[in-house]
Amino acid sequence: MAFLVAFHWGWLAGAFAIGLAMGWIAVVHRAPAVSGWLTWLLGAIAAALVATAVACWVPGRPGYWLELLLILFVPYLVGCAIGSWLRALVVTRSMRRRSAA
Amino acid sequence: MRGLFRWSGKWWPGVIPLIVLWGFAAWTSTVPLENDLASRSSAALKGAVLDKTSIAVDGRDVSLRADAFSETGRRDAVAAVDGVAGVRLVNDQTRLVPEAKPFVWSAERDVVRVTLGGNAPLPALKGRLVEATRAALPGVEVADQMGLARGAPPRFEDAALLLIGQIGKLKDGKFTISDSDVTLSGMARELGGREALAAALAKLPDGFKVASNEVKAPPYIFQAYKDPVAVTVTLSGNVPDENIHAVVVGASSRKFFSEKVVDNLKNSVGAPANFVNAVVPALGALSRLSTGTLVVSDRDIKISGDALYDAAAAQIRTGLAKDVPQGWQVKAEISVKPAAAPVDPTVCQQLFSDVLGKAKIRFETGRSDLDRDSTGLLDRLVEIAFRCPTANVDIIGHTDAEGDSAANQVLSQKRAQAVADYLVKAGLPADRFTPIGYGSTQPIASNDTADGRAQNRRIEFVVR
Repeated sequence: MAFLVAFHWGWLAGAFAIGLAMGWIAVVHRAPAVSGWLTWLLGAIAAALVATAVACWVPGRPGYWLELLLILFVPYLVGCAIGSWLRALVVTRSMRRRSAA
Repeated sequence: MRGLFRWSGKWWPGVIPLIVLWGFAAWTSTVPLENDLASRSSAALKGAVLDKTSIAVDGRDVSLRADAFSETGRRDAVAAVDGVAGVRLVNDQTRLVPEAKPFVWSAERDVVRVTLGGNAPLPALKGRLVEATRAALPGVEVADQMGLARGAPPRFEDAALLLIGQIGKLKDGKFTISDSDVTLSGMARELGGREALAAALAKLPDGFKVASNEVKAPPYIFQAYKDPVAVTVTLSGNVPDENIHAVVVGASSRKFFSEKVVDNLKNSVGAPANFVNAVVPALGALSRLSTGTLVVSDRDIKISGDALYDAAAAQIRTGLAKDVPQGWQVKAEISVKPAAAPVDPTVCQQLFSDVLGKAKIRFETGRSDLDRDSTGLLDRLVEIAFRCPTANVDIIGHTDAEGDSAANQVLSQKRAQAVADYLVKAGLPADRFTPIGYGSTQPIASNDTADGRAQNRRIEFVVR
């Protein structure tokens, strides 16, 4: 893992940036949200993919590409969370200011 | 926290650029990653003793193919690659080098090169053997056809290096180690090479033994050429040592009474047994020829040339084979010199005197048996006697004054008779020769000195 992080830090930073942007947008975005059961389904698929990667069931290059995908998802999700949290802070503060005014 | 969960339902559109990013990352990083893992895996195996190592990286999985020389070495190699950071799985395709039974190694020398074949137990030792061969034979091409196998006997390296050190003694041939048996074949470069090789093999490490040594030496050659024009006898080739050298040259000087002995012999080991007992009679046979060549090659004696008369040719053909030691082969190609023109008895007398002036007929000490060294001289006297068929000859024996005078007279008479018998045996009519013994009554020098007494002991030919 440490090797992958060291080798791909540029790409991981990119994934984090995308996540940060997506999280920033998501707070005020009017797009339809993923429904509850679909979230669980996606979560299950993600868990299955992680299990597959950890158990090294996919050999060679496809195995590496799977790992790469999963490891890119981590900073993406972290970025999303931070982005959303920051945007939420900004939105809350501006709403307070507006209501105070 | 609930907000975060609510917002996460809207994070999915970012997955699209994320997938694009992933595609780029996979596209650009796969080959550099594989190269990085391959180079670091190779570096991890640098100290390992392996043969035919090949590393193939597919993603983060490394396929390791290699021949190891021990089970521990094999496992360590796999563990070393497994320990390389970033390697996910090691596809272990290593195996142990096959065990050779019997374990055979060879060094073969021919005209242009030395070929090392068979098996070596380790790659480093294989390199050392090649280097040692190059050092032993500078300038000679060394072909390395050795494979690698387990199962070498203990101290194999010492034995192989010892044999490589000896390969310079071969002209061509092969040294083989098969388990602990050493086999040698071929031709030694020099006389004595075989013996030197056998001596070196005594230092083989414990456990090794010489199964067969069939290294042959070049033929041991001795040659003598009697040249009637230059009046020389040229000796060439080999003699075993200084003592035998002196014996051969001394015998030649006595047997070739009128020729100058040219000594081109050199001392070399490797002579066949009984060398001197074969060469001296052969030189005696050569001394009886007018012109001839003697070639002794190992135990084969070849003599060719012209005898002075028919009976001599027959005696040489049959006599020499009996005179040489057992195991020696004689090939005599003797022809007879054409008879010289007849001459007057007075010329005959002159010829007898000339020949007997150069050398004296010798006898065994105190006896009337002809010394074999005088055979060549006697044949010359026979040849002269054939040239004057009408002349009658008195053969007169003389002794010195040592001892009883009556006994000396009898001895001189017997010696004169022995010479006459020799002439008759050569085919001359007995009635032409009268043996006479004068004992010590007609000295030609003082009997007080050894030199004078030697001059007084003589045979004279007087044509009547």
